[in-house]
Amino acid sequence: MGIITVDKSDHLLWLGRYTERVYTTLNLYFQSADRMIDTTPDYYGEFCRKIGIENVYGSRKNFLRTYPFDENDPNSIISNLNRAYDNAIVMRDYIGTETMAYIQLAIDDIHSAGRSAAPIADLMLVIDHILAFWGCVNDMIDNEQIRNIIKLGKGIERLDLYLSLGLPDSNIIREYRRMKQFLAKSKLRYDDSVINTVDSMISESELNHPNVKNLLRNLIVE
Amino acid sequence: MQELIRHTKTINRLLARYGVKFGIYKNGEFNEQLFPFDPIPRIIENSEFQFLEKGLKQRVNALNCFLSDIYGEKRIVRDGVIPEEFIFSAKGFLPPCDGVVPPKGIFSHISGIDLVQSKDDNWYILEDNLRVPSGASYPMIARELQRRSAPDAFSSNSVIDNRNYAELLKEVMDYVNTGGINVILSPGRYNAAFFEHSYLAEKTGAVLTTGKEIVCENDRLYYIDYLGRKQRIGAVYRRISDEYLDPMTFYEESVIGIPHIFEAYKKGSVALLNAPGNGVADDKGIYYFVPKMIKYYLGEDAVLMNAPTYLPYYEDDMKYVLDNFDSLVIKDVAEAGGYGVVFGSSLTKEKKAEFIALLKSEPRRFIAQEVIDFYDLDILDPDGKQVPRKADLRAFVLAGGETKVWPSGLTRFSRNPDSFIVNSSQGGGFKDTWVLSR
Repeated sequence: MGIITVDKSDHLLWLGRYTERVYTTLNLYFQSADRMIDTTPDYYGEFCRKIGIENVYGSRKNFLRTYPFDENDPNSIISNLNRAYDNAIVMRDYIGTETMAYIQLAIDDIHSAGRSAAPIADLMLVIDHILAFWGCVNDMIDNEQIRNIIKLGKGIERLDLYLSLGLPDSNIIREYRRMKQFLAKSKLRYDDSVINTVDSMISESELNHPNVKNLLRNLIVE
Repeated sequence: MQELIRHTKTINRLLARYGVKFGIYKNGEFNEQLFPFDPIPRIIENSEFQFLEKGLKQRVNALNCFLSDIYGEKRIVRDGVIPEEFIFSAKGFLPPCDGVVPPKGIFSHISGIDLVQSKDDNWYILEDNLRVPSGASYPMIARELQRRSAPDAFSSNSVIDNRNYAELLKEVMDYVNTGGINVILSPGRYNAAFFEHSYLAEKTGAVLTTGKEIVCENDRLYYIDYLGRKQRIGAVYRRISDEYLDPMTFYEESVIGIPHIFEAYKKGSVALLNAPGNGVADDKGIYYFVPKMIKYYLGEDAVLMNAPTYLPYYEDDMKYVLDNFDSLVIKDVAEAGGYGVVFGSSLTKEKKAEFIALLKSEPRRFIAQEVIDFYDLDILDPDGKQVPRKADLRAFVLAGGETKVWPSGLTRFSRNPDSFIVNSSQGGGFKDTWVLSR
């Protein structure tokens, strides 16, 4: 156990990325839903623009319903969660049945939230189980490299989303530094020049977010 | 028992939490389903288990002798115990395996033997599964979850702990391992039994692989990590069928097999569990001859009986089958999973005539068996009422340094009150199998 192949490292990395995408976009969805109650009813357009997805929703009501629950929408939260599951299920022997269970529970949560009379409130259970999943990754996966590849995926995705959302540079830099620690510990092959370039960009007064985002896309060497 | 019944919902909730599922293809689409679990266990007294254990070990030992003989000297054919047509025309007989001796001489490492208990208390063997029998993981995890949900049910009954299946399996893998790591070779995520493949990999510490990361070089098998480093593989518990195992030797269009794995196996540099070619021994036509095999190889009478079986291939048997068609169950020897099973009494006049014509034109293709009036086991219906249903037992026999019977098994039941078919692919569920320690 513990021999990590190209395929397995890929699954672990994407498991980290998709769980993070679900977590961050769901939190953002909560904030946006709140905003749409009274102040900005059509804020969903801005939401789509920020996270870089096509606005196919047409109305606030449709967005609130479709974005979390529509399995036919490739950008929906449930689609991203299904992709996290697809990557987790083939790694049961590496991450363990206990850890895997939290992804399963998050899937069950999102399905029951979709049937609930208070879907937004019930979606909070998905957040709980994603957090429990990460806790379990920390606590129950003995192999350090496996843990760090998942965390690297999580870090890369978080950075990507934060850069898209235009979060303050201080947040970006903090996440970048955290991601770099996991990158070193993951022992995956990566492009040194990307790190050198981003490091020098950080020392400048203002970060160019689109440039950093594009650079980081080519960080991991396939 | 009442405690288990009371906690049915909790147990099922936990089974869902841990993704205890099986895959099923319907109308070309893959769906994962929870394997329906019933909380009322099948209970086997210790003395009864000892009897079963004796019979199962005997049967598997004889089947291993048979496989060794058939791919070796073929004495049993030469001595006229089994007609050669039954061997060489069997779909499971693989000519490339002729003359190949697997590591430690074991062919069937993991055998799933299906039994039923009749109302006269006798156990009958329904079939032997010596290729890739599945199902052990379900009662294994179900036991774990029942112990959490209803601990008193176990502290107040003397039930042998069945959670050692992974240890037994690992013991067998280690025993035949030729030097290197153990891997479990799965066709992948969309296989019906993928839960089992991944769960057994986790519990045995073997590496789960779909074969993409495996290469064969100089007749040795290696697992390649992401930096291109190679680790030798000593044992492959393969969960893919013979024909897809190696495109260089078997089905050349297989994309899930490993090119040249068979050559490595043939040279003795890797163990394959179970050995390729075992299908010749669990062919439904060969089943008829197993008691004769036991006598021939072990010099013993079979402890466990076959269901009374007729081979239409023999003239006398064909006559019996035609005379008693309505009371028999006819099985297509090439089918499995509950498919190709026809109850004579269920056919219309036209269908019966059609079927008899087919039987006469291809007598080797079918066997006929008396319908055993087997014990119904109680299950809980959706309203929580206890209702009787047909159930069988798949016993797992592991052959390594010695042959051992797992003190548990997969009890499958039919959810349909009118059906004898218990297979999960056809809507059946499962229950735990308790072997009492006294």
